[in-house]
Amino acid sequence: MSDEGLVEVKAAESFEEGDHELVDVRGVEVGVVRDEDEFYAFRNTCPHDGGPVCTGPVSRKLVGEFVGPGERVERSFSDEKIISCPWHGWSFDLETGENVADDGIVLPSYDVIVEDGVVYVDDGR
Amino acid sequence: MIDAAEHRVVDCDWHYQDSFTDIVEYMEEPWKTKYEKSNWDAAGVKQNLSSFFPTSTGDRQAYGKIEREHSNYPDKAETPDRVREGMEFLDVDQSIQISHLALAMGGVQTDDERTQAFAKAHIEYMLEEVLDPDDGVYGLAPLPYSDIETSLEILDRVENEPAIKGACFITAGANPPLGNRKYDPLYKRCEEIGYPVVFHTGGSGLDDYVRAGYQEMLETHTLGFLESNMSQLVSVTCQGVPEKFPDLDIVFMESGVTYVPGLISRLEEEYLKRPEEAPLLEKRPSEYITDYYFGTQPLEVSASPDLLELCFDMLGTDRLLYASDYPHWDFDSPSTITDLPFISDEERKAILAGNAVEVFDL
Repeated sequence: MSDEGLVEVKAAESFEEGDHELVDVRGVEVGVVRDEDEFYAFRNTCPHDGGPVCTGPVSRKLVGEFVGPGERVERSFSDEKIISCPWHGWSFDLETGENVADDGIVLPSYDVIVEDGVVYVDDGR
Repeated sequence: MIDAAEHRVVDCDWHYQDSFTDIVEYMEEPWKTKYEKSNWDAAGVKQNLSSFFPTSTGDRQAYGKIEREHSNYPDKAETPDRVREGMEFLDVDQSIQISHLALAMGGVQTDDERTQAFAKAHIEYMLEEVLDPDDGVYGLAPLPYSDIETSLEILDRVENEPAIKGACFITAGANPPLGNRKYDPLYKRCEEIGYPVVFHTGGSGLDDYVRAGYQEMLETHTLGFLESNMSQLVSVTCQGVPEKFPDLDIVFMESGVTYVPGLISRLEEEYLKRPEEAPLLEKRPSEYITDYYFGTQPLEVSASPDLLELCFDMLGTDRLLYASDYPHWDFDSPSTITDLPFISDEERKAILAGNAVEVFDL
């Protein structure tokens, strides 16, 4: 842990696309996920059943649009990314941590900082 | 506690025991002749081998045990006067008539026009001989929803009839289930007219409603009525009907109330795990379902009061509609509502009349 309250994760270049790394942040297991050169960090405990949510897959959210009565709902993958708990599929918006089914359920998130090629999680202090 | 006789009571589910012999007079050919020549009994409700509409397990009257006045189904056809007599018996001021025979339409899977012919003739018969807003006797238009074109014709026919207060979809036998986009034009039209859509469970085909082999009415009537409504409740909600048609009032009739919280709970567990499969929903399924209206009959008055109170709290007393199901064998009188210990008098009045006045624009 650094003096600035940053918890070192590992070198950014050692993260593969979709890779995750778990770190201890003030006694809480936090998962850092890389997606399209961006890093995201969440508490690695699914609010549903405590599953290791950050180890699950990241995907584009499948959405549907009502285009008119009698028409088939148009399905497509949006630009929004979600991360899904590998235990039961509970899914959360990668940007906000909001549950896809109920935005009142939020996966606690942490700021991620990359300095000199190293990924850190801000422990909030 | 309130006395039903001293307050307005609207019965949202009265079954006019229409007879084929009466309705056939309003039917078009060739169905008029087909129905007339199909060996109906004198009352027009029983028929050898049930040539047209399917029947179901067992005797509704519990094999001769239920003998009350007005309960003579299915041995005698209804007359309009008996509706007025029954309303007086129950202290009902206004009633919504739903065809008794239409309840079997859901069991008809053939690709002919027997249900279309029946529904159209039923409406003409009811408008001509039975319904009268001055007497508080209103009705719903039964829709042969597998035929969208004919159902739209029926809605065009009745939209300016002051005695018709909504459209009725029999939930038994709907293939595909009623959330399918196929039915969108009907929901759109009902929304335009301002008609509530009443999803009413049905009794036909109960013998093998999901699987064959049940033996007694006790089993099939318990399970089949629930399954029919539950399947459509899930389909309509998950396919986003209330998002597509936000001004449409949705009513579910005749499966009591205790099944709804259980179904909501299970659906929510599924939805939280698979929300992308219901992409039109903007909120949890429960938030849509508790916006629907539910007929109270057959109210589970023998259930634990705590359970019943919980159900009323979840659904909301502003979403419950008193329904008798009269004169069917398991009817509820208004005392099922007036005697409930855990609701206020204002809530009793709302369930007995106020909510229905709003939904059905009475």
